[in-house]
Amino acid sequence: MRRFGVAWLWGGVAGAALLSFGMAHAGTAPHGTRIATAAARAGTTSRGTAVSTAAAPASSVRTGERTTQDSNAATKGSAGMAMKAADGAGQPLSTRVVAYQIDAKLDAEKHTIAASETLTYKNLTGQPQQTLPFHLYLNAFQPQSTLMTEVRLSGTRGTGAGSGWDRKHYGSITVTKLEVDGAGDLTDKMQFVQPDDKNADDHTVMQVTLPKPVAPGESVTFRMKFDDVLPEVLERTGYKHDFVMVGQWFPKVGVWWKGAWNCHQFHATTEFFADFGTFDVKLTVPQNEVTGAGGDLVATQNNSDETKTLTYHSEDVHDFSWTASPTYTDVEDSWTGSAGVVKIHVLMSPGNMASAPRYIKVLKGTLQFYDEWIGPYPYDRITVVDPPHGGMDAGGMEYPTLITAGTTWYMPEGALIPEVVVEHEFGHQYWYGMVATNEFEEAWLDEGINSYVEVKAMDALYGKNTSFFNFPFAQLGEAGEQRVSYLDEPDYDPLTRFAWKFANDQSYGGVTYGKTATVLLTLEKVIGEKKMMQALREYFLHYRFQHPTGTDFLKTIEDVSGQDLSWYFNQAVSGTNILDYEIADAHSDAVKWYDLNSKDANFRTYVTVHRKGDFVAPVEVLVKFEDGSSATEHWDGKDRWMRYEYVKPTEMASAEIDPGDGMLLDRDLFNNSYVEKPDTRATQKLRNLWTFAAQCLSQLYSWLT
Amino acid sequence: MERPKVFIEGAGIVWRRQRALWLVYFVGLFLAYLGSYGLTSRVAPALEHSAQTAPRLYHAFDVSALAELAETPERPFVQTNTNYYFFPLLNALFMLFVTGGILANYERNTRLSTGEFFGACGYHFWRFFRLLLYLTIVLIPLYLLTESVDPISGRVDDASISPFTSVYFEIGAWAVILILAMIVRIWFDMAQVIAVAEDERRMHSALGQSARLLGRNFFSLVWLFLRIALIGGIAFGLGAYLWAIVLRPESVWKAIILGQLMVLTLIATRLWQRASEAAWYGRYKAAMEASTPPAPVPAPVPAMAVLN
Repeated sequence: MRRFGVAWLWGGVAGAALLSFGMAHAGTAPHGTRIATAAARAGTTSRGTAVSTAAAPASSVRTGERTTQDSNAATKGSAGMAMKAADGAGQPLSTRVVAYQIDAKLDAEKHTIAASETLTYKNLTGQPQQTLPFHLYLNAFQPQSTLMTEVRLSGTRGTGAGSGWDRKHYGSITVTKLEVDGAGDLTDKMQFVQPDDKNADDHTVMQVTLPKPVAPGESVTFRMKFDDVLPEVLERTGYKHDFVMVGQWFPKVGVWWKGAWNCHQFHATTEFFADFGTFDVKLTVPQNEVTGAGGDLVATQNNSDETKTLTYHSEDVHDFSWTASPTYTDVEDSWTGSAGVVKIHVLMSPGNMASAPRYIKVLKGTLQFYDEWIGPYPYDRITVVDPPHGGMDAGGMEYPTLITAGTTWYMPEGALIPEVVVEHEFGHQYWYGMVATNEFEEAWLDEGINSYVEVKAMDALYGKNTSFFNFPFAQLGEAGEQRVSYLDEPDYDPLTRFAWKFANDQSYGGVTYGKTATVLLTLEKVIGEKKMMQALREYFLHYRFQHPTGTDFLKTIEDVSGQDLSWYFNQAVSGTNILDYEIADAHSDAVKWYDLNSKDANFRTYVTVHRKGDFVAPVEVLVKFEDGSSATEHWDGKDRWMRYEYVKPTEMASAEIDPGDGMLLDRDLFNNSYVEKPDTRATQKLRNLWTFAAQCLSQLYSWLT
Repeated sequence: MERPKVFIEGAGIVWRRQRALWLVYFVGLFLAYLGSYGLTSRVAPALEHSAQTAPRLYHAFDVSALAELAETPERPFVQTNTNYYFFPLLNALFMLFVTGGILANYERNTRLSTGEFFGACGYHFWRFFRLLLYLTIVLIPLYLLTESVDPISGRVDDASISPFTSVYFEIGAWAVILILAMIVRIWFDMAQVIAVAEDERRMHSALGQSARLLGRNFFSLVWLFLRIALIGGIAFGLGAYLWAIVLRPESVWKAIILGQLMVLTLIATRLWQRASEAAWYGRYKAAMEASTPPAPVPAPVPAMAVLN
């Protein structure tokens, strides 16, 4: 760990000792110290010791309404948030719309799965339902699909634009039989539909019309047989050598949302959306496989044909994924939070074992952070999957209680990429896993909020300026990284764009992740960091195990802050306005400039602030003078420019917009200030670097001579 | 007294004939400065009067600062013209020009006047230009070999259960490519030495001679070249370590000095190889002449026998 990190850690431990009592009873401690406390605790839990938080009353979780206890928990800070996963009567955490029972057998050599599925769907839509849509995501792995067509146009995770088609990336899901209890065999009633783009060759959505509608409140049971062909790992799913990552692999019913079925096709830049329920899954795999899944392993049975059948059960989740490889090493650990013990399984691939402690350390730190700042983690397990070399397309993905990470055998300590990935994917257990927003239509709600919390958590754990790269010769903080990704294409698409309608993959990534995080980081300057975190906590506690919308999220922020933030949201969330204020001019001139012999020592100082972009925001301007005095101005930022004038017996030293961290959403922070005395040291440093690099390049070319 | 090893003799030649080293260094520095001037002059206005600069780029090195400079509409960090690559290429052309004079200097191991030096440069320039064309042709199969690594690695990966088989293959393939590139370089180095030492005008003949020379003295020449490269590489690596790990971010002038010492190391290493090759050829030629028996002189014929 670099000297910076060591100093921070000891400071955190000291801060933890002083503030643990205050944390237990008040929410007023400075944010920085509270974060340091969380981080220090993360350090102490690295050996699996229990973390003792202040005792707090258990609180039942109810969906659809805010309880008095929820409100109290939101305002008290971590002390009021010790929750149990379910109350004493074992009541479900969510409204369980679906119950899946799946029996699947993996053919490890052919990379296929033969399976049967029983889906019981409870009609809570309030209307009779006769036509139900299903996702068949694996059919996207075909060249004629919508996903592959979009990938060819603009690329997506792990795959560049213009990529050719490789047959080994073929994947499919074929429903060979569909029966409905009380309605018989409806296999030939299945129809592929394309609600988004009318691409008749895209088979990622299937619908079936029942002979009779399902009445409101009633359930319908589907019994299906299906066969999966897994692609060589691409877009999160598939095999590589003897490793398989099986996600989005079974027919999954759509969501009734906002008065209609919401069941989009699988696009290059979309993820997933499903209802909460239960999963009982039996997986039959070769006996030498080490498996992991998003559920509790409740039974194992060895079969006579050198296979074994593993039975998993999962509740209050909306997806089930699993992985298998004979070469995994299962690194086990545990963490104790306010909701109880969480068993940790890290499935490490050969060659990557050096990263296992890194994964565990950041996972525990993140668990702690979320427990203290957002809310309890109600499940009793979390599995981290480390994809093998060559299988990285399966990495960096989230499923309920199972995440895939990413590292390499040569990953240096200063490149905190494994940490960032694990932190981010675990964060999705909250934003997407429990607060189950529509990833097709409002990707920013899970990716962006998660990216914002990622900044806070990583800064707390690894230091503000070193939370992404931490080398002696180069550093990068998380906030900087998010900003840079947003600045790449800042003005193409608003946050609210449907995920598959972004201009390209770069804009999708930059906006949903980077811009959203930067928008929320900037919002901290407007409403205060404490209010921001409080709003997130309230949003989580109120909307967990539901499907909230962006409106719900923004309203929560306004309610907590007590401010009308429509001026900000209209521009930052719904618009593509660019925020860029600059000090256009700052100089001092002698008052009696025309009289060289004048004894008048006064100077007239001009500071002109210019709004370069089309985003209007109030700004603060700090003008410092040579004699140590200063003046602070507040401008509403509405006009194109504003000039401040001062007459003083001293010249100006500097002028700065939003001094300190500044408005991170500002496109160019370098023009936000003007310092009279030029500082050429950085220029010299860069000149030295570039000249040195040019000299090395010269020597490389000279090798030819 | 036992003669010093060739590579020690080569180091001595470079030391005694330092003017070549300083000429190459200062011309390279000048051209590199010109190449980076455009970038610096674009970035300076954005940096020198900003309060962001010192904390982000002087007291630390925040990578996002450079990315930000590249992404603002004015794009001060992005070099839109080709200066940054043009001047190093110009330096390579300069090296092509002065190599003849440098080799002549090393081969004779005496001080050359400025006129003699540049005369030798000009005298051999066209020969070395032709050698460069031959080198381009020879590098084509090496390039094709390089391009084949990835597809073959993919096939190895497909056929293998272990994910690391293709990694080992790629490491091995690149090691082979680097060794082949080194052998090609030694071959052409010796061709240049022969062109200067023997005043050989025909470059295909010089290449043929150097190929036979390399074939008969493969390990001697390769080890000579390689050990100097390893010494230079270790010194360069040490410099990089000091710069990246030991120096504080604020140590601008120390970094400048260290960087220039590293560049001098690169140049000196290359010149050391050239000088050692010239010395090696000199010894080889002397050894060949010493071992060749004198041509037989016919017995004198009596004058009367001629008359009769």
